[in-house]
Amino acid sequence: MKSLIRCLSILMPALLAGAPAHADLQVATSLTDLASVAQFVGGKHVTAQSLCKGYEDPHFVPAKPSLMKSIQHADVFISTGLELDGGWLPLVLPGSRNPKIQPGAKGFVDASQGVDVLEKPTGTVSRAAGDIHPLGNPHYYADPKNLEVVARHLADVFSELDPANAAEYAANAKTFQEKMEASLEKWEKVMAPYKGASIVPYHPNFVYFAERFGLKLFGTVEPKPGIPPSPRYLNDLAESMKKAGVAVVVYQPYYNADACKEVAKRAGGTALAITTEVGGLPGTDDIFSKFDVLVSSIAEALSSKTGGK
Amino acid sequence: MRDLFRTATAFLALLLGSTGFAAAQTSSMFSNLANPAIGMNALFSGQAAHNLDQPYGLQFDEAELSVISVVDPYWTLMGNLVFAPSEVSAEEVWARNSNIPGVQLKLGLLRGTFGKHGLLHPHAFPFIQAPIVMGNTIGEEGFKDAGLEAAWLTPLPWYSELTGGVYQAMSADDQNPLDLASTRHDNIPYLGHFKNLFDLSDATTLELGQSFLQGRGADGHRHAALGVDVTVRNVPPRDSNRRGWILQGEYLQKGVSVDGAYSHEADGGYASFQYRLSQIWWVGVRGEQARDSYTDFLVDGADQPIPGKINRGSANIAWSPSEFSSVRLEYSHAQADAGSGITPNDDRIMIQMSFTIGYHPAHPF
Repeated sequence: MKSLIRCLSILMPALLAGAPAHADLQVATSLTDLASVAQFVGGKHVTAQSLCKGYEDPHFVPAKPSLMKSIQHADVFISTGLELDGGWLPLVLPGSRNPKIQPGAKGFVDASQGVDVLEKPTGTVSRAAGDIHPLGNPHYYADPKNLEVVARHLADVFSELDPANAAEYAANAKTFQEKMEASLEKWEKVMAPYKGASIVPYHPNFVYFAERFGLKLFGTVEPKPGIPPSPRYLNDLAESMKKAGVAVVVYQPYYNADACKEVAKRAGGTALAITTEVGGLPGTDDIFSKFDVLVSSIAEALSSKTGGK
Repeated sequence: MRDLFRTATAFLALLLGSTGFAAAQTSSMFSNLANPAIGMNALFSGQAAHNLDQPYGLQFDEAELSVISVVDPYWTLMGNLVFAPSEVSAEEVWARNSNIPGVQLKLGLLRGTFGKHGLLHPHAFPFIQAPIVMGNTIGEEGFKDAGLEAAWLTPLPWYSELTGGVYQAMSADDQNPLDLASTRHDNIPYLGHFKNLFDLSDATTLELGQSFLQGRGADGHRHAALGVDVTVRNVPPRDSNRRGWILQGEYLQKGVSVDGAYSHEADGGYASFQYRLSQIWWVGVRGEQARDSYTDFLVDGADQPIPGKINRGSANIAWSPSEFSSVRLEYSHAQADAGSGITPNDDRIMIQMSFTIGYHPAHPF
């Protein structure tokens, strides 16, 4: 009996530490960008966390049981949707044993709803084209305008789950939109001289950004989505870049930097580490600073390599 | 027989002549929007082993057809059908409920939550050959039986899962070495599994597992298996698709209780290390020992299998040009000792090809 009491006295603090922290809404997301928007819209009534780190490939998040544990008491789960998290979320969500956030429940949100999706495949969908996303390109969070759609959507979801603070959520979403519009105007001015300039990303996760700011994408460092480049492919890409006068290669911190630097070197250009996700690089702690850093670094690279075009 | 044939012919003619059948062929009368996600994995292999009297060549091992879909707001149903050269069988067919806070419920034909290697499908084995101890304790592909399992995520601050399960009485056979076949009313084979996982850092996790399985055999005695496993896994977040390693060890034992006295029948374990060199290359080494165990090259003078102690070392290299295909080359060297001067050696080289189409989510961590 004494042993049992001793065991319990050791376990109790641990058990108590496992209880959820207090907040009106505990929100978890697939992606740091969505956590940043959710935090802005939710304000003091929301605690938002992302399962994928900003410097982690959102396609390949290891389905660690600790992720399941971290969302055991979440009230809302915001998925990127369009199957970006389709490789790991089907393990993590049921593993959380949290009925509130399972698909179909009020607490499950597909953030891609309402977004104008680009690169929806037409005709037969086949993995002969690589690991493509059959529902369209899921990297919509690289366009600031799409995040305004997400913010409005989240305000509606939070209001339904927490009606007492609905007015605050709606006001925050409006403020988010105004701030994003003002910022977008500023970013468009910075990018204006480079309209029509070409860049080479590692993966097709730059489509929305290019569309918004008038950049052209000159292929990708990987030959097909999810397929690593061969030396011959890199050589051919570098040759065609040289011929076309394309000099800027961009890559996220989770992609193969060596391949990007090699192709840029052979093409006589530059390889630039950028982030399309909040927290991917220093100084990108929220959605606005992410775009500040992204826009200024791309403008700077294009300026030094192309002088405008 | 003639009547049956006549009836079938008349029924077929009626079907073909009916307007309803014609409409079904030409319009979308039946919606397929709620169809399940479907995937298939096919495994092919070849091996050269001087001890085995087998022809060399490429052989078809098995194809696994998996379907999964949400049934309704309460249940998800998964089916895993295996097509092997000589049989087609349902490997797993279970319904899962995720509506109970903290608890996941699974019922149906299950791969019981026992150990670490025993939870894997053959195409996810880290080495082409399963550890010898598996086939001598709970089954080469783990413990599979019809039953009910509840897995509780405890309120401890780390991932701590306690699983309990009850199963149908089942005879020992090639796939299931445990005799749990008693028809006594009090024979409900049961399983317990305790898993704890700790994040040591952003990249590294430590997992500790303990498993226990028990039931009454056709001989009236209690038969049991127990296991412990340790896994340290490293997946650097910045290189989650290119780098990482897995260090894993597992010990399993099978035994029987006769008149309250427990004696072990077979036991053993393995330790393995896998290292990811790049997005497409993996290498691995494994050392293992199985005692009082059977394996394919350990036979007596009359070519009958006999038990003994077996030590085996394996090394492999895997090339995965995409997430959906891989080729593995593996070499193993084994030494066995069955007493009475029977001490055969075995060397073999194997190659395995794996191809996956359709839906295929990540394997459990």
